[in-house]
Amino acid sequence: MLELVDLTKRFKQQYAVKNLNMFIEKGEIIGLLGPNGAGKSTAISMMSSLVEPTAGDVRFNNNSILKKPAQLRKVTGIVPQEIALYNDLTAEENLQFFGRIYRLKGAELKRRMDEVLDLIGLKDRRKDIVKKYSGGMKRRLNIGVALLHDPELIIMDEPTVGIDPQSRNYILETVKRLNAERNITVLYTSHYMEEVEFLCDRIYIMDKGNLIASGTKDDIKRILSAEKTISIKADRLNEAFIKEIKEHPLVNNIQVEEKEITIMVAKEVNIFSTLIKMAEDASLELSSVAIKTPTLEDVFLHLTGRALRD
Amino acid sequence: MIGILFAKARQFIRNPWTFLIFTGMSIGFALIMGITGGSNAIRVPVTIVDEHLRDTTIMSELKASTSFDLQEMKKEEMLKHLKNGKAEVGVILKEENYQVIVGVDSVRVRMVENMVRQAYIHYYQQQNIVDAANMVSNKQKDLLLYDMEESMNDPVFTVDSKGFTSSDAVVYNPTFQVLFGFSLFFVIYTIAYNVLPILTEKNEGLWDRIILSPVKKWEMYVANMLYSFFEGYLQVLVIFLLFRYGFGVNFNGRFYDTLLLIIPYVFAVIALALLITALVKNVQQFNAILPIIAVSMAMIGGAYWPIEIVESNALIALSKINPLTYGMEILNGAVVYNYSIQHLLYPISILILMGVVMIGIGIHLMERRHI
Repeated sequence: MLELVDLTKRFKQQYAVKNLNMFIEKGEIIGLLGPNGAGKSTAISMMSSLVEPTAGDVRFNNNSILKKPAQLRKVTGIVPQEIALYNDLTAEENLQFFGRIYRLKGAELKRRMDEVLDLIGLKDRRKDIVKKYSGGMKRRLNIGVALLHDPELIIMDEPTVGIDPQSRNYILETVKRLNAERNITVLYTSHYMEEVEFLCDRIYIMDKGNLIASGTKDDIKRILSAEKTISIKADRLNEAFIKEIKEHPLVNNIQVEEKEITIMVAKEVNIFSTLIKMAEDASLELSSVAIKTPTLEDVFLHLTGRALRD
Repeated sequence: MIGILFAKARQFIRNPWTFLIFTGMSIGFALIMGITGGSNAIRVPVTIVDEHLRDTTIMSELKASTSFDLQEMKKEEMLKHLKNGKAEVGVILKEENYQVIVGVDSVRVRMVENMVRQAYIHYYQQQNIVDAANMVSNKQKDLLLYDMEESMNDPVFTVDSKGFTSSDAVVYNPTFQVLFGFSLFFVIYTIAYNVLPILTEKNEGLWDRIILSPVKKWEMYVANMLYSFFEGYLQVLVIFLLFRYGFGVNFNGRFYDTLLLIIPYVFAVIALALLITALVKNVQQFNAILPIIAVSMAMIGGAYWPIEIVESNALIALSKINPLTYGMEILNGAVVYNYSIQHLLYPISILILMGVVMIGIGIHLMERRHI
């Protein structure tokens, strides 16, 4: 359906996206994962025909959209990261406006508006002015606007940023439902790996403008097949212990949080006794040491040496 | 495009405060500085020492002046006025002479002195004629003066003169000056804050969302500019209508012409606002730059005071690239000087040219990011 071929965007000497290759098949939910500044938003701006690439091509049903974007635009719904709504208008007026610019009229427009309001759960609040909505409601309406013209492809740029867990779950469930019931293709970008894990069939991981991994969830996690992730927890971590682990030759990657250290080591290595000895030497009382099932977060850590949310 | 206009109109109905505030400020400033201070006459404090003077032609002649407004007061009060700078010059009138007391030496002092001297000369000329005629009774004297006045009213030839500050002069009328000046000044803000949403909508992703719809980009620009034009023009229309029919300001018979002639100015200001919007990166920058530009435009464009009093060559040169200069030139030309439309084609053409150039540059700069 949609294919990116060596897509590159350079701002002066800085590459925002470098040689990105991607494809999206009809009916898939594709995740584009990466930390802030990875180049996800630039990539989706290019693939939705909003920004001209410096090099490469975007193909929709095997036709380049760079010169003729109309075909893609007609069947694409965009959910931008920002709340792209008129705050002084009601939900209904916003939908009416976007419906009109998509040439929807009369009974057809009304039917679509009712459907969308029902889907995003705002039917009872349709007459309220958007600026009085909560963050989660605005996000839902932001998605609703993109669904109004019944698109085949929805591109969602971090649609759950800054909202409460309840609204986030509602949005994730809505995306799942749209895909399952209407066979809508979804490109979902996020830096929350649990969202991508929950939603997506296939995942692309970007960092600093480069594609660093791609495949199904299992494919990606298999990158870690030669390694295992160990979680070390203590009530109060101390600098001496952290320093010793960092300098240990068998530890490949380390991520330090307040009460937890996550390390990666080769699968065949048995490091438990060494860890306990290091804790004793550093006068540290450990509360647990455990091997974890690898997550996408671990894969990202493995590939970049940094956490997704750094 | 209709959809965009509808959405804008709804937002205006829901939130008309920017429009109302700037319209109100234009009306308020024009009222305070124009209508209430509408007299051109210069106030001159006068102290009359000899009461007998009140019945003479000296007083009647001085009071008849349209250039100076004589305000009678005690000598001490007059001196206080001069000391405080409330008046430039005062006059003490005595039976056989007068005294001019100068607070600030200016051209007005000589004008006042000249007027008082003329009044005394006329009075004593009359007295000398009466004395020379050897009239015995007062009735005969009055009759002689009457005959003399009659013959003066029907002279062999007349010389018509006008003063720069008198009400029958057309050089400077503060009512039109402040009405036009503040209308053209405040409409810059109303228009600019209607063009600004292009920038905010771009930053908020709304613009991109509309670009991805079947609406053409030119329709988006035209809709935004049309709406800004509508609101800007409406503001000027409301102000002019209020002054014409509410306060009875006579536009010297050119009221409907002014409504037509204001169009090129509104167009040029929309273009200027578009250019500013294209040059700034965010709303904060826009809010910082707009007052600087608008106030500078008003100062060198003749909105606050007549452009003729600007003396610096550099400022005069700058005023030539200022739309407000030409807006004032058009309105003053039509209403104050009664110029025909043909006479005003030059400033009209410049405003249209400015508008086209600024829109071209503005849209080009805005579009650098987009396909």
